Parts: sequence; structure tokens; C-alpha cells
Amino acid sequence: MVDLSVCVGNVDFRNPVILASGTCGFGRELSEYIDFAGIGGICSKGLTLLPREGNPGCRAAETASGMLNSVGLQNPGLDMFLTRELPFMAGLGTKIIVNVAGHSTEDYQRMVERLGSPDCAVDVLELNLSCPNVKEGCMTIGATAEGVYSMMRAVRGLTAKPLWVKLTPNVTSITETALAAQEARGDAVVLINTLLGMAIDINSRRPVLQNNTGGLSGPAIKPVALRMIHECYRILSIPIVGVGGIMNASDVIEFMLAGAAAVEVGTASLLHPAVCAKIIEDLQTYAADNCIEKISTLTGDLQPW
Amino acid sequence: MEIEFEAVLVGKKILGKGNALLTFSCGGIAGKAQPGQFVNVSCSYFLKRPFGICFVNLEAGTFSIGVREAGVGTKDILQSKIGDSFFVLGPLGHGFSFEGVTKIIAVGGGTGIYPLYFALSKAREIGIPTICVNGFRSREDAFFLEECKGIAGDVLISTNAGDYGVKGNVIDALAQLSETQMQGAAVFVVGPEIMMRKVSEWAAKNGISCQVSLERRMACGIGICLVCICKVKTSEEGVPFHHVRCCREGPVMNASEVIW
Repeated sequence: MVDLSVCVGNVDFRNPVILASGTCGFGRELSEYIDFAGIGGICSKGLTLLPREGNPGCRAAETASGMLNSVGLQNPGLDMFLTRELPFMAGLGTKIIVNVAGHSTEDYQRMVERLGSPDCAVDVLELNLSCPNVKEGCMTIGATAEGVYSMMRAVRGLTAKPLWVKLTPNVTSITETALAAQEARGDAVVLINTLLGMAIDINSRRPVLQNNTGGLSGPAIKPVALRMIHECYRILSIPIVGVGGIMNASDVIEFMLAGAAAVEVGTASLLHPAVCAKIIEDLQTYAADNCIEKISTLTGDLQPW
Repeated sequence: MEIEFEAVLVGKKILGKGNALLTFSCGGIAGKAQPGQFVNVSCSYFLKRPFGICFVNLEAGTFSIGVREAGVGTKDILQSKIGDSFFVLGPLGHGFSFEGVTKIIAVGGGTGIYPLYFALSKAREIGIPTICVNGFRSREDAFFLEECKGIAGDVLISTNAGDYGVKGNVIDALAQLSETQMQGAAVFVVGPEIMMRKVSEWAAKNGISCQVSLERRMACGIGICLVCICKVKTSEEGVPFHHVRCCREGPVMNASEVIW
């Protein structure tokens, strides 16, 4: 029997496959189709202190091998999450990661305090410093190493729970922001959020998205994610959680070889709701066929030329 | 619960230029589908494409959808051949409510006639009288009428060109209904958004309940990506509206809740 378990810092996962934020809600819908007890973990929809209705109008555009979205963090807000969604998630039988987003340092602090308290049934906090679809907070903070560092410093002391930092690829140097997260005692970095992009309707001569721009996801961004994970793995001492265009078990292996300790699967769930279960099954087969006893040994095992 | 199926195309009936009725073999969807629900069908492009279910054949284990060319995805699906295989999610969404409905005025614009056909079939099955009102640009553009005539109590047509039925749009056709025909009816509407809005205003003015089937750009079809939102009214103080998901809370909504 292959051992699919992995550790990200001091958190153990039964396998490396986590459902990514923004493509699984809080697990309610997908729980009708998959057994979460077989999944590594679930990362909640990006959560803010107060409820948000998100961006108006058209929010999605298909692209070559991917899609753009400009949802804009539509979510029920922290209070509703704690009373209605978290109890449901806690019953799923898998690790719970909450994606924490905000407008300001105070927002992030208040959320980390509550979600990071010992009596809250959350295993990991994923700090969203990378959503490209809101005017304040998120990517505007995560675009510089200074921004990442000061935000992490502002929240680090407020919780003993693992703090992962989800970073944006829309930067000149991903290693600088990743190092800033590490220096401020982040427990892991999550690479990568969506790439800022645009789609245009040639008939109306307007952007397809009413927000004008959106975040590009899907297989189109996988090569960028792999490169960034590889660059960061070479210099970081904290673990990396890889995300960006993973569609199948083969992609997971690539991400792990590049340096990911675990992965998050996002857009693929929009196409095939039960894809995570299939990926885990195929990882078992791959490992067995290749005499890999422990899947975690793949992490960083890339042999660059 | 299984939601994604591999469905094989077993029937293709051309109904005009870039317009066809496609039938897929898939007992898992056929057995559960309700009028107003939809399926999300794979194509050669990245995302699946949503289509309202037109009818099912429980014995044969098939479901049918009407597809009109609207872009690269629908063009690709229309070019498929008998025997081709597709990944299909379904049945999805919240369909028409028949609760308390004793008479239906079904109003369709363009391909809206396809999902309405399923509602008309169910109405006939459970003995609810129906009037079907369909709007087209011209006689040449009209399709699927014989099928509707076969199951609806009455069929009214409007054409913008005026060469078939009432000249004008569906509102002009609805104006021909008598008080008796309208009394106690519920309106089901599927078509272009402007048409659904006008029909819902007509229904409100006449004190008739109205259900509309909304169409949005979709991705997942199951409520996890939040891209296909629709603005709805709320009674919460200080909250001007809510965004709900067309694919999950809809596509069929009570027209009185929708903010157009």
C-alpha cells in the first residue's frame, strides 16, 4: 500500500490533494458528489470580515486552456461563516483551511484573531494576499515584499495556528515576496493565485468582464506555477503548497517534483466536480506502478539540467 | 450521488440553419430531469455549455436538448456526429414550480421554446391546461411549432415581420388573450432577457404569477464558482440586493424577486 500522506509544516494531510479556495465554496455542493473523508483538505471560499456581494455583471470568460473570473470575493462574511458554514465543514472529515481576505490590516487582524483562536475548528489559515479582483487589500498588499512582510508581521502574533500565505504571480520576482512571507514567520507559501488578464468582445468593443480584468486560471497558467514553485523551492526553508492549472494526477506529480509539499486543485473542479477523488485514485496507481512507497519523497525531487 | 455522466449522441434533428435537436443516451440524467432544469455539455473548448432540457424518454433512457449556434462552443456541438461521446453534468438547477399551478401560459422567445416544451409535456401529463405563446423574427425563423401544437392546448405565434401569426412580439400576442384565458394562470417564460422582463411586467400588471428562466455565462453549473449571478430583491434592512446563482437557485426564478 502506498503512503499518500504528506506534511505541510506541522500539519498532516492524508494525501496531498486539497480543494482550492474559490472553486469549492464551503464544500456543501461538492459534498453531494464526493466523499470528503478521502480528500486531503478543503480551502474555503475567500472570506472577508463583512459579507460581500462581489462584482456586478459578467464574471467569467473562457480562454485558451483556461478561464478568467472576476467574482470579487462574494462571500457571506465572517459571522455567517462561523455560525452556518464552519460547523458544516467541520463535519466533512477533512482538514479545514480558511482563506482570509480583507481590505485593511485591521480586517486581516480581526479575522485571524477569531479564526485562529484555539476553540475555532479551523486547522490552517491561508492569508489571501493575491486576489486580483478587488480594489483594496489582497493583491494590492501582496504585490510587494514589504506589503507581504508587514501584513504577516501584523497578524503573526495573533494566532498559534499555521499561517499559509497565498501569493500572487503578478510580480517581478516571486522569490522576493515568498522570502518576505518566510521572514515574517509564515508557515508555508501557496503558489500561485490567478494571473491578471483580460478578454475582449470584438462586437461590442468592450471587455467581456464587467470588471474589465479578471484572474486567469486553468491549465494555461500551469507552466508559470511550476516555474515559480521551482524558483522558490530552491531558496525557501518553509514548505510550498502548489496550485495553478492542475487537472490530473500527472500534474500533481509535476508540482511535487518542482517542490510542492501538497497541492490545491481549483478550476478542474468546475469542469469535473469529482476530479479530486479521481486524482487521488490515480496517484495511488502511479505510485504503486513506480514503486514509490511514500508520495512525499517526490517533493523537490526534480533534477534540473 | 453521480452528477457527471458520459453521454452518447444518438439523435440529431436539424431544425434550421445552425439549429438542431440533439438526443443523448444517458439514463442517469433522463431519469431525474425536471422541466426547467439544464445540462452542462462538454465541447472542444475549455468550459462546458449549458442547455435547458427539452424532453426525456424514460424508456429509452435519453434526454434531448435544442442547440442553436451562438458561438464557438455551440457550433462545435452542432457539428458532432451520432455516436460521439460527451461529458455531461446534470440534471442541474432549480426548474419550474408546478405547486398550486392550475393553468399555464408558456411564453417562449427563440430557443426558449425548447425548455418550455418539457414544461408543456409535464402539464399535459398531469392534466394542467396550457397556452403556448411563441415569438420569432419571421415565419422563416419559426421552428418546433408542430411539436408544441401537439402538446399545448392552444398555440399563439407572433412574428416581428408579421408574416405569421400576430404581427409584433409576444406581448402583442399576449394582448389577444381573453380574461377567461388569463384567469388563474401562471406564466412560464424562457427567452431573451428583455423579453422575459417585458412579459414579467405584463404578468404583474395582470395579477398573474410569473416564473422566468434566466440565462447567464456559466462555468461549473453546480454552484461552486459564483460566476453566473443574478440580482434579487431582499427584505433585509440596509441591504439593497443579493447576488444568487443562476445555476443553483435558478435558472428558474420567481419574476417578482428578480432585479432586472
